[in-house]
Amino acid sequence: MSASVRLDAVTQAFARRGSHRAALAELSLDIAAGELVAVVGPSGCGKSTLLDLIAGHARPATGSVTVGGVPVAGPGPQRMLVFQEHALFPWLTVQANVEFGLRSAGVAPDRRAATADEWIARVGLADAAHLHPHELSGGMRQRAALARAFALAPQVLLMDEPFSALDAPSRDRLHVELQDLWRETGTTIVFVTHNVREAVTLGDRVVVMSSGPGRVIAEVAVTLPRPRVVESGRVVDLAQHVRGLLDEADQMGISAPRHGRDGYVSI
Amino acid sequence: MIWWLASLAADALPGPGVTAAALADMAADGRLVSIVWRLAAFMGACFAIAVVLGVAGGLAIGMSRAGDRGLSPYLAALQGMPTSMWIPVAAIVLGTDVWSLGAVVTLGAVPAIMLGTRTAVRNVPPLLLRAGRTLGESGTSLVKRVVLPAALPGIMTGVELGWSIAFRCLVAGEIFSGALSGTGIGTVISRSRQTGDLTEMMATIIIVLAFTVLIDRLVFSRVQSRLRTRRGLVDAGLPH
Ligand SMILES: Nc1ncnc2c1ncn2[C@@H]1O[C@H](COP(=O)(O)OP(=O)(O)OP(=O)(O)O)[C@@H](O)[C@H]1O
Ligand SMILES: [Mg+2]
Repeated sequence: MSASVRLDAVTQAFARRGSHRAALAELSLDIAAGELVAVVGPSGCGKSTLLDLIAGHARPATGSVTVGGVPVAGPGPQRMLVFQEHALFPWLTVQANVEFGLRSAGVAPDRRAATADEWIARVGLADAAHLHPHELSGGMRQRAALARAFALAPQVLLMDEPFSALDAPSRDRLHVELQDLWRETGTTIVFVTHNVREAVTLGDRVVVMSSGPGRVIAEVAVTLPRPRVVESGRVVDLAQHVRGLLDEADQMGISAPRHGRDGYVSI
Repeated sequence: MIWWLASLAADALPGPGVTAAALADMAADGRLVSIVWRLAAFMGACFAIAVVLGVAGGLAIGMSRAGDRGLSPYLAALQGMPTSMWIPVAAIVLGTDVWSLGAVVTLGAVPAIMLGTRTAVRNVPPLLLRAGRTLGESGTSLVKRVVLPAALPGIMTGVELGWSIAFRCLVAGEIFSGALSGTGIGTVISRSRQTGDLTEMMATIIIVLAFTVLIDRLVFSRVQSRLRTRRGLVDAGLPH
């Protein structure tokens, strides 16, 4: 099961003591059902904001967000968001965390346990299932959060830099694993990252955003055969090209001036 | 030591030795057990009701911005006042019996628990609420499965504060009027008042002190440390 995602002239701004601060400047994006789209952009360009809008945690200031042709009205398990910070419930074990959403969906206890076991094993946490989040390393927490998301078999999976806290070997393994899972489940995936190579490795298409307030400055189709790995020569070449687009955008001064202290951060 | 010196200075104050003897006496004829037992039953019943009312009320105002703005100032004012001032009021309205003191003790603890719960609910990390919503929870089941467990350590703090207020209320009630609560403390107080002999009084104070320490050790610190360990709020040198 998967659904298409469509953002139409979406803008978002945050009010702070009367002054508005734009986070997204007119962004339009069409994602086909079952597509794996990677979004890259500098820190603070509005990538998390974009995912929040699709997930339904926030409403756009203007424009519309539709998933499967239906306007997004609020958060729900069909649009699963894997947060930038792991967001596991600290009072529950890994097992109970993964079962959380299944229980909300009314899955019977034995099926719940079986599904959770399967996903916990797939992310390599089988012998940590009874631990609480604070007893896990950063990377293990992130993997537990992944298992929790996948266990619900969402139509759209929104991933916010889910692998940025991982060590290179487990990240590489999860890259391959994610591509396999995506092929098996056919879920639409929006994968946000600031790592250009990771974007090229995973995406059917790489959407490049300008520094904040974010807009789409380029889209690069990736037609290399799967499964891809970050080290492969062709991935590196294409990543160089995407990186060039990003740098070019900033040199041309496309990025609007921003208020506040955290200015442009290069990636 | 201080107590012993004080009893040398002030004739009326019984020394530790005499008090210990009185304590042994009370233990022997069952008065000690009876006081502790009745104290536990009375406080247990009143406090259980207070916790239910306080947590429910705190959740309600913690979840609604309007309710919070409307009610919290009054709650804070209520909590700031000595709750024992309600004892005469309750005595006149409800009569001088167990129920009247029970109501004061119960209601005395409610504002503290309510405010503690409200603050704890307010401080639940929004990220966890979002995670809960994304995973398909909403409404009361979101409260039950995310808000309440996330707020539990904070709620416990309010509950502890409520307990000490309830206890103060009880003792004040006993002083105000003899055998109000049926715990027997009041009887001891009025007897000492009449005879001028403080030995039994001191022994009873010791019993009450021991009771509160015991409750704190056995209930509150245990629950707190369990909550904290489970959530990783105790630094055990684990990876982060
Ligand atoms: N709740 C908020 N209130 C005010 N401003 C916000 C809020 N959330 C985000 N912003 C602002 O919106 C802009 C975009 O933030 P966002 O978190 O989407 O960036 P990002 O692209 O995800 O960055 P990163 O790669 O560092 O995660 C930033 O300038 C940020 O300061
Ligand atoms: Mg972000």
